Amino acid sequence: MEKAPVYFITGGVRSGKSTFAEKTAQELARTNSGTLLYYLACGRAQDEEMQKRIELHRQSRQNSVIPWQSGEFPRNIDNSIPLYNKQTIVLLDCLTTWLDNELFSLDSELSEQHLQNVFEEMMGNIETVRMHCFSLIVVSNEVLHEPLPSSEIVQAYQKTIGRLHQELVARSNQAYLVESGIPLMMKGSK
Amino acid sequence: MHFVTGGAYNGKRKWVRELHKQTQWVSAYHNHPLPVRSNDFVEKKIVLEGIEMWIKNDVESSDGSNIRANWRTYVQTWYNWEQKQEDRTIIMIGTDISKGIVPVNKQDRIWRDITGWVYQDLSVISNHVDVIWYGLNQQLK
Repeated sequence: MEKAPVYFITGGVRSGKSTFAEKTAQELARTNSGTLLYYLACGRAQDEEMQKRIELHRQSRQNSVIPWQSGEFPRNIDNSIPLYNKQTIVLLDCLTTWLDNELFSLDSELSEQHLQNVFEEMMGNIETVRMHCFSLIVVSNEVLHEPLPSSEIVQAYQKTIGRLHQELVARSNQAYLVESGIPLMMKGSK
Repeated sequence: MHFVTGGAYNGKRKWVRELHKQTQWVSAYHNHPLPVRSNDFVEKKIVLEGIEMWIKNDVESSDGSNIRANWRTYVQTWYNWEQKQEDRTIIMIGTDISKGIVPVNKQDRIWRDITGWVYQDLSVISNHVDVIWYGLNQQLK
């Protein structure tokens, strides 16, 4: 089966990356008639503030001309494939939360082997989703520009997210860095 | 001189390896001492990797007041060595540590500040500056 193109979108906290990702998805839906929109959420609201932000994004999606379906998949996102088809534009929000869930949900030690397994499993999941949708938009966070903490756990996390980002950028058709609401195209052409 | 920067785990090393073959690789991550003189250079292309870690060592062993000036001296020494022969190149790799929240620890704040200043100096003296973003380079200079 043919693999769907990937759009990789990243940015700092509150940079407007999710809003841009939604716009990108809607634009794709508008220009490809018959396509559907599916919002694949990896995070669950941990507190009231996060609940509010989720609600805001949910409302903006409800105002969309083309309706969104959505589902929550904290882990194993390939379980979502029965919920859409080759005409669906899938927006995965976001990679950092998903990695959190994969890396820290089990009581496994942070061995190189474990990190390698998580990396391969996540890339495998992404490739599976790509075989079952029209396009895949992946949202992630810029988290690698501060002094590296000595904590092993954070370093393991950063190392893995760095690898995932490099791999996704390499496989993407378009890659964007969103700065203060302005998307910079780092790879691809319009 | 070529200054290569970007966030941690963004593929800087891999990018430099593909661009520059046959290098003498000096790395702070492997606890190699900073070559403050050019006597130790045996190859024509020298990679100095982990600039921020050498600066961290400096910050841990002094009050920070002379570090930037000292670095200007080292960089000038490398520059002079490079200028003596046309096929010589110094490649400096430094991780960008400037975009997080202000570190709680004072020494970390000093480290972050000095690293930023030294990077500015490296950019001035270098004829090429690249930022690596997940394996892709953006040439700034």
